[in-house]
Amino acid sequence: MRRWLGPLAAGALVAAATWQATLVAAPFALMRVAMNRLGASGRVNAFTHGAPTRAESQFVVRPSPDLLYSTCVFDRSAGPVLVDVPAIPDHYWSVSIFDARTDVAAVRSDRDTHGAPARLALVAPGAATPAGYEAVPLEHARGIALIRILVSGEDDYHAVDPLRQLSNCRAG
Amino acid sequence: MLSYADGLNTAARYAICILLGLLAGGGAAVQAVRQGFSDGTLASGPWETGKDFGSADASALVRARVALRGLLALPRSEAMYFTARTDSNGAALDGSCRYEIRGGRFDARWWSVTLYDRAGWLVPNPWHRHSVGSGAVPGESADAWSIAVAPAEQPGLWIPSTGAPQFDLTLRLYHPGSTLREAPQQSVMPEIRRLACGA
Repeated sequence: MRRWLGPLAAGALVAAATWQATLVAAPFALMRVAMNRLGASGRVNAFTHGAPTRAESQFVVRPSPDLLYSTCVFDRSAGPVLVDVPAIPDHYWSVSIFDARTDVAAVRSDRDTHGAPARLALVAPGAATPAGYEAVPLEHARGIALIRILVSGEDDYHAVDPLRQLSNCRAG
Repeated sequence: MLSYADGLNTAARYAICILLGLLAGGGAAVQAVRQGFSDGTLASGPWETGKDFGSADASALVRARVALRGLLALPRSEAMYFTARTDSNGAALDGSCRYEIRGGRFDARWWSVTLYDRAGWLVPNPWHRHSVGSGAVPGESADAWSIAVAPAEQPGLWIPSTGAPQFDLTLRLYHPGSTLREAPQQSVMPEIRRLACGA
């Protein structure tokens, strides 16, 4: 039996390390799946404006049918990525930046901007920020920028859609 | 006589234990991530909320769970998500039953209730209805509203449970006030009452 003590201890250590490694890797892996799904068209650093959510068109779990989503898979490895979101009057709207580990790096809603547009620069930590933009330092180069706009139905969607088309996600 | 196990050489013993360690550690982690929605400790009636959606101080386990169940969820300062898997009596929500959700005002800017299957997907139905939001509640009912959840069409505010043998409900509260953010378990949440089951 004594000859098994060493191997059992090694097995326990490996189990603990694998547990932790799996948990740490899971968000990165799930985020990569989402980025691949959203960026399937190969578009990086550009917004895609989703149609109103239906059961037949869900890109991520628990989508809200009350919200319009616009998504941008970004990659700031070649320099800052600039995100511009126009004000959508009389509607709740927000833009949130998720990093490759699923953490929220920034959320700006109409409440934060007091009705002004949101202008965010996604940059490497310590990098210079282009004038007129608020810096969002990101440890990881890739992630997802997500706009949410609350709409009350089909007519409202048609009223809001041209405004959100003015949003921009681009290499700066 | 030597047993078979005693006959293994040292390298083989290590190889077996390390392999089992890999399987056990990885398997247990996957199981732990799939099992829970959140820490599950903050609940008000059947409504459960995670402690720290999308925030950098989430533990590895909570972050992995959130990534699986609510990827791209907002932090608590922006929105709170409550999920109910049972009615107020603790019975699992069943798509063949009729329910009444009754609630009032929340300490939040706007809210909505959405029906998902157990994996977190919207369930197709002929009406393309999946949720009811505060915008749909008439002003005079804002303090005491009622939403029906049922497999067949209902008068008034209604969410179809058609085609969902088991389902859950997610309550979103945007721009929650400080009371709600700090002590969600003490907030009054909607009651989910089962009325009748079967055809």
